[in-house]
Amino acid sequence: MAASVQFGEALVLGLASGPACIAACGPVIVPSLLTERAGLQANAQFLLVFLGARLVGYLLFAIGAWELGALASMLPGSRMLMSGVIYVMLACSLIWYAYSARRMCSPSCSGSRLVNIGETKSRGAGGASVLGLLTGFSLCPPFVVAGIRAAQLSSVAQAVLFFSIFFVGTSVWFVPLAGLSCVTRNEAVVTVARIAMVLIAIYYGSMGIVMMLGGKGNGH
Amino acid sequence: MATNVRLPRTVSPAPRTIGRSLLLTSPIIVWSILMFANPNTQGDRRSQIAGAITAVFMIALFFMMMRTGTTYRCRRLFFVSLGILFPVGFIHNVIAARGTMGIPIEEMIAGRTPFCFMPIPLLILPAAFTRTLVFPGSILPNGGMSGGGMAAMVGIWLAITLVIGKGWCSYACFFGGIEEGIAALPKRAKIRKIDVRWRYGPWAVLLAMVLLSLALFEPAYCMWLCPFKAVSEYVAARNTVGLVQNGIFVTLFAGLVIVLPLLTKKRTQCSIFCPFGAFQSIFNKTSIFEVKIDQTRCQPCVLCQNACPNMSLSRESIARGETLMSCMKCGACVDVCPRQAVVWHIKGTEVAVKPERARLMFLYAAWAMAVMFGGSIIAQGLTTILHFLA
Amino acid sequence: MRLRAKLAYTAAGLTLLAALLVPFLLMGLFTRTFAAMDLHVDEMYSGGPTVRTVQSGAYSIAIHRPVYPHMLQNERPFVQLDWKPVSALPGRVSDVVDIDGDGRPDVRVSFEAPKDPKTPLRVNVEPLSLRYEAMRNVGKEQYSRLIVRVDDAILIRVPLANQ
Repeated sequence: MAASVQFGEALVLGLASGPACIAACGPVIVPSLLTERAGLQANAQFLLVFLGARLVGYLLFAIGAWELGALASMLPGSRMLMSGVIYVMLACSLIWYAYSARRMCSPSCSGSRLVNIGETKSRGAGGASVLGLLTGFSLCPPFVVAGIRAAQLSSVAQAVLFFSIFFVGTSVWFVPLAGLSCVTRNEAVVTVARIAMVLIAIYYGSMGIVMMLGGKGNGH
Repeated sequence: MATNVRLPRTVSPAPRTIGRSLLLTSPIIVWSILMFANPNTQGDRRSQIAGAITAVFMIALFFMMMRTGTTYRCRRLFFVSLGILFPVGFIHNVIAARGTMGIPIEEMIAGRTPFCFMPIPLLILPAAFTRTLVFPGSILPNGGMSGGGMAAMVGIWLAITLVIGKGWCSYACFFGGIEEGIAALPKRAKIRKIDVRWRYGPWAVLLAMVLLSLALFEPAYCMWLCPFKAVSEYVAARNTVGLVQNGIFVTLFAGLVIVLPLLTKKRTQCSIFCPFGAFQSIFNKTSIFEVKIDQTRCQPCVLCQNACPNMSLSRESIARGETLMSCMKCGACVDVCPRQAVVWHIKGTEVAVKPERARLMFLYAAWAMAVMFGGSIIAQGLTTILHFLA
Repeated sequence: MRLRAKLAYTAAGLTLLAALLVPFLLMGLFTRTFAAMDLHVDEMYSGGPTVRTVQSGAYSIAIHRPVYPHMLQNERPFVQLDWKPVSALPGRVSDVVDIDGDGRPDVRVSFEAPKDPKTPLRVNVEPLSLRYEAMRNVGKEQYSRLIVRVDDAILIRVPLANQ
């Protein structure tokens, strides 16, 4: 009974945190999806890989939080440094992803369906997993709350299960993103997405450096 | 059109007579009197004089548009005046109210940050999710620099956009005139070839800023990228990040609003960066007025494409007989076409059948908005100048 | 003239009519509609609504509802306290405030109330319950942790402790 209450709590926490997760992951996932091939299958595949890697990130953190003890890993100073490093890595990944997307317009973007290029498929899986993993480590507040809660459980297996259920709750909110598959992929869309990724990468990179240097996260 | 008719090499609009031009200007004369005969300024002589000068200025420009049959130059003169006089009035008011262009946190907490139209697209998603406006202003007037409040700016933006769509960027935006004036200074462009993909820049900035605004719950464009903070106001830096933000906007203003327009003779901030412009482009789909190309007259000389300050024409779009979605309805392409192939058009009518009727209907709507909104800002700027001269 | 063209000109005519109505009707209508939409300015800026006012002699202390940042805002949860009017404050203020209204004191707030509005403000907040954080000479670096003078009030935002 106690176990079901705990895991019910994980699901509710995940569902409640979903909008925040979408908002947090949006700057990464929306432009990335727009540089993928059009079509529900390609977008769903990207989303699955992204979410799977995000889950791996969550679970690794859950195990670490349980092993190290929640409070030590949640100290503001160490959290800020870790967030800064992750932000910088995320920025680099986004820039690499935007650069590699130039092949999406080769040989021609004039048609509404892109030519299926072999490299595109492998870029999609590798890029999606890196972005998902880094996003999973991004230590947004609901993630931290779930981490503290998971670390209070009696075994690492329970902590992993708690996080997994929390993850399922948040992931429900990502399903509508598959609707981006309806957007035509042409030179305009891909170029817009690439430039947007670079701008977002610049923001994350700047914030990451500020956090690593111990500064406040924004200019307010 | 019969194919065996030989067109003259160039066709220019025939000037109207003075009497006919005055007749066509008369609605604008009435409108301007209505707009500037403001009982609230009866006791303020400077405001009355400024209002009168502005009314005469706007009427004269419209008269010239009717007389010459061209649009762009007269519109540009109004728009540049707006771009110059807005900061004159605004910065004066800001310094009079708080002594500095920097917005202190006290003003933000008090909800007295003036709201311009730029953050509108950024506020939509956070408001939709949480009913929260992520801007340190007030919804209704709140004294100080809050002006009419956020609701008033949203109201006027929506009303003007309903009437002229992306014509906002040519007849209402109080920032664009600065770079349009600077772009007009050189005789020739030093940089003539611009990669057409830069045209997607505003959409990319819009996408990035909308997503970041939702993620961070702040107006990301205002905090990080808006170059026009250089001629209005900015968040006073309280830490390193604040200094970086202020450095960014100064750099962007220098680059996008001064240097690049001088080199390219284009409105580069508008055409490759402004996210609000991309947002306004959506409303070109709903606007009844547009610019089209009569394929029977066009011999693709691409003078229109070169003349467009916003890169809203391409060879492909010319071949299709239309402008791109980003068209600001400034009239440059229409005026430059030697064959009068580029014409004003009302959607649903035949292209190039009575284009002057379409032009007149559009100009009455657009100029009415320009007199009402831009004219009031010009008058405020003139009042400030008269205050210093007296 | 074809029907389509007639409809098009009608629409253009209606647009002209709309232009005439903008300053007299449309602008006000859209403004009032937006104002009536049950939107509010982010409480991180506004400090949240006032829930209680405590009278202390010639001045009062307004206690706001605690503000919790949206999930990705880089701020702490806080509660705002307003001392006003500044003109009625003694030179040195030291008040014990029961923030949550449970009858038990929560924080002791001490600050100098200078006559010159440009004088920097310094505050000492001593938490008397575990719910609030201590603050000392904090200035105005963050929205969730500051002391500022706004018009005729001194505003102090006390962060809530990590729980």
